[in-house]
Amino acid sequence: MAATDAGAAEASQPHHRAPGDAGADRGDAVPRTTAAASGARRGPDAATLLAAALALPGVMPAAALAQTAPDQGIVAMRYFDYRDWQPGAERMNVHSPSLYLLKPLSDSLSFEGSVVYDAMSGASPLYHNTLSGASGVGITEYRTAGDARITKYYDRFAVGGGVAYSSERDYLSRAWSVDLRTWTADKNRTWAFGVGGARDNINPVNGITQGRHRETYDLLVGVTQNINANAVVQSNVTYTDGRGYYDDPYKPFDRRPDTRRVWAWLTRYNQYVPSADATLRLSYRLLLDSWGANSSTIDAEWVQALPHGFTVTPGLRYITQQHADFYRDPPLGNGLRPGQPYTADTRLSAFGAFTPSVRLGKQFADGWSADIAMSVYRQKSSWHLGGEGSPGLLEFSARWFELGVQKTF
Amino acid sequence: MRRRLSLAVVSLACALSGCAAFAPPQPWEKGMLARPDMQIDRPPLEAKATQHIYTSKEGAGGGYGVGGGGCGCN
Amino acid sequence: MTIHRFPFRAMAAEHELQVAGLDRASAARAAAAAIADVHRIEAKYSRYTPDSVTTAINRAAGRAAVPVDDETLALLRYADQCWRISDGAFDVTSGVLRRAWRFGAKPPRVPTVAEVDAARALIGWNRVELGAHDVRLPTAGMEIDFGGIGKEYAADRAATLLASHGVAHALVNLGGDVRALGGQPDGRPWRIGIVHPRKPGAVIGELDVVDGAIATSGDYQRFIEVDGARYAHILDPRTGWPVAHWQSASVVAPVCTLAGSLATIAMLRRDAPAFLDAQRVTYLLVDEKGRRVAPAGLS
Repeated sequence: MAATDAGAAEASQPHHRAPGDAGADRGDAVPRTTAAASGARRGPDAATLLAAALALPGVMPAAALAQTAPDQGIVAMRYFDYRDWQPGAERMNVHSPSLYLLKPLSDSLSFEGSVVYDAMSGASPLYHNTLSGASGVGITEYRTAGDARITKYYDRFAVGGGVAYSSERDYLSRAWSVDLRTWTADKNRTWAFGVGGARDNINPVNGITQGRHRETYDLLVGVTQNINANAVVQSNVTYTDGRGYYDDPYKPFDRRPDTRRVWAWLTRYNQYVPSADATLRLSYRLLLDSWGANSSTIDAEWVQALPHGFTVTPGLRYITQQHADFYRDPPLGNGLRPGQPYTADTRLSAFGAFTPSVRLGKQFADGWSADIAMSVYRQKSSWHLGGEGSPGLLEFSARWFELGVQKTF
Repeated sequence: MRRRLSLAVVSLACALSGCAAFAPPQPWEKGMLARPDMQIDRPPLEAKATQHIYTSKEGAGGGYGVGGGGCGCN
Repeated sequence: MTIHRFPFRAMAAEHELQVAGLDRASAARAAAAAIADVHRIEAKYSRYTPDSVTTAINRAAGRAAVPVDDETLALLRYADQCWRISDGAFDVTSGVLRRAWRFGAKPPRVPTVAEVDAARALIGWNRVELGAHDVRLPTAGMEIDFGGIGKEYAADRAATLLASHGVAHALVNLGGDVRALGGQPDGRPWRIGIVHPRKPGAVIGELDVVDGAIATSGDYQRFIEVDGARYAHILDPRTGWPVAHWQSASVVAPVCTLAGSLATIAMLRRDAPAFLDAQRVTYLLVDEKGRRVAPAGLS
């Protein structure tokens, strides 16, 4: 072993950082070349020998190479406790445990699956203070949902296929998806292409209609780029085209178009900040909706590493949404025209909403980790960017707690 | 308004990163990118639950993936 | 946070794994897996074990091609690149020179020119027939020796195995070839000292590494002194005779395999600083007079 006998050390070298250090002022192993060396052989030889060394099996941890199948499995459990309300009344309450599994099946094949069980009680929120005839006060509804996906990894691309379902008393949704990811040789840029479809069956409990369905197709094109050793950005464009039954059967007079097309452009950016040992996570999503409920959402999180394996993550999300073309302000029935779409659903009104949140995580030994988080959501017409929120609505609030545990194996 | 908002986001991101130098990393420089908090996608259970909440309380959702299935939240 | 240390012996030398960030039991499990792989590589590529890959290849010299697996192919391809980039100074067929140069012999003895030439006739990586799935040494008596790559390769694999067991901070030292992972658990880099080539127990320099490798080649590990002249085991395969450009060469590179090969090549080149600069690595050389040479702007 190289002796580090400080007592007998000569005047030591000024310390410098080796290649690969986060935040190093060297970037890669750029030589400080002498005048003689700068004209010497460069480039191809260095790259070739390094490439040959990196081609040796197992000399670099797989974590540094994100385009290979995972070599560890993950099992995670999460518990969600959600509650929402409007001033003067408690409304919906959801308790939701969920389970997730990631299992490598071979060194190029992986399986992922999850199941969720929601127990929902309380009314759907009464947004309009003029609505009479509340729908379904006090019912407890259960929803189970699950999904599974298999991904196969090749040298320069990966292909995945998955199925998903969601089932509750009045609603059943089944979906499939296929995705292809392909990356450059240096794995710094990944293109993603996805296609999926879903078929939903709706059987409202109030009998207002039966056996309705709707079909949706979506397409996704996206790119992920490692900007440098500390920053990565991803931008996806998604197109969703749906046909079928969209009305909300529990809302009076509700009648919506039987098609909907949504374009979504989501850009996410992560920046590691070495001086703080923290990561800034930013995202912006633009939604363009054929119903007119366009929105912009920005989301920011600061993941701060703390001693002893803790991290604390404050976050803030803001969304501003336009109202749907066929949304009508209260009173209920205002602007209703026979044969024309209509909704008083405040989810399709114009509003702004903030979600401040905080999460505390801890990494334990042996691949265990846990986190708890709390988020508070408040939606107000007056928070619509530009100030033209839909009038006559009460603010809507919600909060949720999360508790999660995860083990790699 | 929307344009102003997106411009603000881009400028903020730029300022915070010091308009980060574009220097795609070598394989041995990807240690930081492999950190859990540097992954673009959130852990699946967390992402599913929050997206479900937002989709059920807001007008439209999506943009994160394909074929995730729906729910009866309309 | 404690750094757990796991010393062990392999390849006729002392090694040590340092693992931090896990409890002792988990660290021990990870270390055991890494150590097992070191033994595996030793058994697979040792010149001395009768059923090793090396023995199979060497025994078939002058006869048939020997089929080899992907790991061996990758190592041989890497050896080929090293040969090319060093203009033949790094040659895995040069092990035969030990028949002429017996560094352990007593009394110490310098071989004759004839003895050296006889050995040189059996050296020549360019003559080795490396196929898509096999390798053949064309002349009986030729030998492949993975000694110049094996230990460094094992160090890299040990680090990767530790990482796959959830280790985020580790320091692998196989007989002086070091591979570091993740810096120390308190956020400081691993601090690695460079052995002083002439003062046992002393250190001639220090390098900080968070992720990366350091390998050192030196003239002080094996040598004979005859009539006051030191002949080290740094032999140039092209001439068959030792060279004495440097007392030691330490190279910092992303992986230990690369660091080790470049250190070996550097020892054989008078223009090592220019060569290493062109390879875009950091280094610390000690010249024949004991002066330190490092990249411009470093010292």
